[in-house]
Amino acid sequence: MRKLRLQLGSPGRGQGRRRFRFDSGFWGLLACVFPLTLSAATFTANLDRNPITLGESATLSLTFEGGTPAQDPTLPAIPNLQITYIGPSSRFSVINGQVSSSVTYNYTVVPGQAGDFIIPSITAAVSGQKLATQPLRLTVLKPGTTGAGVGSAEGQLALLRLLLPKKELYVGETVEAQLELLVNEKVQGAHDFQPAAIPAEGFNLGKLLQGQQRRVQAGSAVFALNPWAFTLAPVKNGSLSVGPITASLVVELPSARRRRDPLWDPFGLLNPPEQRTLSLATEAQSVQVLPLPPEGAPPDFNGAIGDYSLTVTAGPTNVAVGDPITVKIQVAGSGTLDSLALPNQPAWHNFKIYPATSKTETSDALGTRGVKIFEEVVVPQTADITELPPLSFSYFDVGRKSYRTLTGPPIPLAVRPGGVAAVPVIAAGNRGAPENQPPTQDIVPIKQRLGEIGQIAPPLVQQPWFLTLQGAPVLAWLGTVVWRKRNDKLAHNPRLRRRRQVVRLVRAGQADLRRYAAENNSDQFFATLFRLLQEQLGERLDVPASAITEAVIEEHLRPGDVPERTLSGLHDLFQACNLARYAPIKTSQALAAFIPQIETVLRELEEAKR
Amino acid sequence: MNTPRKSKTPNAGRRLTGFQLRRNSKFQVRVFISGIILAALMVWARGATVLGADLAAEFDSANKLYEQGKFREAASAYEKIVRSGPVSSALYFNLGNAFYKCGAVGRAIAAYRQAERLAPRDPDLRANLQFVRNQIQGPSVVPNRWQRWLGRLTVNEWTVLASIVFWLWLLSLVLGQLRPAFRPPLRSFRVCSGAGAAALCLCLSAALLTRSAPTAIVIARDVAVRNGPLDESQTAFTVHDGAELTVLDHKEGWLQVSAGDQPRGWLKREQVLVWPSGTPGHSRNGGV
Repeated sequence: MRKLRLQLGSPGRGQGRRRFRFDSGFWGLLACVFPLTLSAATFTANLDRNPITLGESATLSLTFEGGTPAQDPTLPAIPNLQITYIGPSSRFSVINGQVSSSVTYNYTVVPGQAGDFIIPSITAAVSGQKLATQPLRLTVLKPGTTGAGVGSAEGQLALLRLLLPKKELYVGETVEAQLELLVNEKVQGAHDFQPAAIPAEGFNLGKLLQGQQRRVQAGSAVFALNPWAFTLAPVKNGSLSVGPITASLVVELPSARRRRDPLWDPFGLLNPPEQRTLSLATEAQSVQVLPLPPEGAPPDFNGAIGDYSLTVTAGPTNVAVGDPITVKIQVAGSGTLDSLALPNQPAWHNFKIYPATSKTETSDALGTRGVKIFEEVVVPQTADITELPPLSFSYFDVGRKSYRTLTGPPIPLAVRPGGVAAVPVIAAGNRGAPENQPPTQDIVPIKQRLGEIGQIAPPLVQQPWFLTLQGAPVLAWLGTVVWRKRNDKLAHNPRLRRRRQVVRLVRAGQADLRRYAAENNSDQFFATLFRLLQEQLGERLDVPASAITEAVIEEHLRPGDVPERTLSGLHDLFQACNLARYAPIKTSQALAAFIPQIETVLRELEEAKR
Repeated sequence: MNTPRKSKTPNAGRRLTGFQLRRNSKFQVRVFISGIILAALMVWARGATVLGADLAAEFDSANKLYEQGKFREAASAYEKIVRSGPVSSALYFNLGNAFYKCGAVGRAIAAYRQAERLAPRDPDLRANLQFVRNQIQGPSVVPNRWQRWLGRLTVNEWTVLASIVFWLWLLSLVLGQLRPAFRPPLRSFRVCSGAGAAALCLCLSAALLTRSAPTAIVIARDVAVRNGPLDESQTAFTVHDGAELTVLDHKEGWLQVSAGDQPRGWLKREQVLVWPSGTPGHSRNGGV
């Protein structure tokens, strides 16, 4: 679901003629300042909306690009169509030294009756050159013929309608449809317009482009009309339908509770507007899609549908056999320009033809009008050639409901015998080649060295070993985080730190005891034993180790939960230490016999502590 | 108590205890495994050298065919080397040149794109790919500026770059844990490397997405893109040899494609090469 921006307010008006005179002079002056960089002038005509409903108006824009007309363009009188001049607008830009300017004359077109109107080709002289626009067709619908008309909307807050220019289309034909949102001016504000996807099975849909808001009147009610245009192209024949298009819109209505007090509530803060979410829907529009008639299709018809004109130029025209000639083909008009392709030209069999490059210049936002320019390099193969045969291009004209074939003029050539055939220059690279580089003539030659060889393998990022390897630094970091937390915890807990130190001390002391027993070193053995007992008991009772004597057994341990067997063992060990000072034990076997008892007592003390 | 006296050398007295026997057998197993690995490495290195020499000879003979103007035969010879397994960017480059000279623009583009995966910054390759793309008529998808920028590095280069910065970032975190005094001076480095790692990971993801998006490269001269996957469907537009199209869907031998802003349409699978290979619509008629 898309969210489209919605602006409410009065549409702006054009400028006056006096301002335009100044603008014209200004742009003319700029055109004199940058004469070399200005491109050839063009003159185009556009309608901002088509079709319209009787009672509404459209804006006709006559745009001059790259020059200003010597005189204001004059429009012919068209029966039942009132055309009123609004004013001009102009645009000037300099991008990378490329100057472009345009002047647009705007007119309001108000129909007097429903039907199809043709605005004929309009001519104007620019810099001594006579330019003409394409004829335009304006379709005016009767109110109520397509969806809900404005006339039926007088009492509504908002409504949505879908306008199709035709009910009968050909497969592949592109038409512009309009989605219009009308919001009653009673509404203080409207926002969050969210149309759902357009149901149009069997059609290719273009992008939604928002048009300029304007006001329309229905009876006594005035509506702000917000148009969106999009292109529709049927891809299959039969009876198809477009819509219904549904959308939601949030509107703000004046509070119905009481009137705002200008003294106490000058900004309306105490009476905020009431918000209401509206569900809107258009009616479904049925369309009859016809297949292209098989009869009368020219042999070179390659699917082009629309209304086109053809211009063909070529140069140079005085060449040798093998010299390239660049043929420039412009197909201008309305239709699916992007998909236009040049048909094969059997008459050009005496030429070697290289693939054409092309670019499309559209003149409207929907991309349905404009010009497609092809540049094709052809190389004459014999000196007998006197002309480039006429180029033909066929399309199906949906207006006339028949095939048409456009034929360019034959272009006289002077071809002289030549030597080695030249490789053509690609005249217009259309895919972003750097502008300052000279055109490349051929591909870079092959490489003579094989270079580094290897197997095509899945990328590293998809290989399990590589992904596993990326876990290593993460694990290292997590490990250091845990290590840092433990260190910090130890640094802030001296009792825990002492406990660990004592555990390490006891473990080392037991190894020392075995060594001293093996060495028959009685003094060191009992000194170590006494120190171990002091450290273990001191840590358990949370007193300095030096303060531990045999007396603590009776004073501190016996009242506690230490088993009697442990106390007895402790008592024996202290006694042994005291005796050893006066009567050292002489054999290592006797010393070693103490070790199991020492280990048992120390282990029981450790367990009792927990 | 008499305890057995430990000898300082394992074989002293020629009588080995159980422990010494076990240690000796472990040593022998290690020597045996090391020997096998060394032998395997030597065989592999020898094989790689022989293989490289064979490939170089085949490559030179294919180059000779190309220089003689026998482009079709040269393309076949290059393809034979490609099918044999090991590849290089030069091989695909030359294959692309041979295809182009034969007039097979689509196959040439496919070969150049394969070479681009291996050597994305090769100026010769970029020039030829641009040159060939410029000659394509009609609608075709062209990489945008962002995609071209991402394509300046291979996916593996993006991966290694992102990995290095990621490791540096975690190294700074580890150092901060091991030596808290390093945290303040490493702060800016930590922030920059963290942001860099995140940005590079995004680039890597974008590069992977870009390169894994299936593209159809047209290999027939003129291909009608139809409104539906049926021979009876109307032609929506026409594409030409070498056109690169985005693959949207596939159905029973047909691919739904789009050329940028062009309307969508269906074409037959055998008229295109699907890039990269292995994607749902991958063509079996090969080539590159």
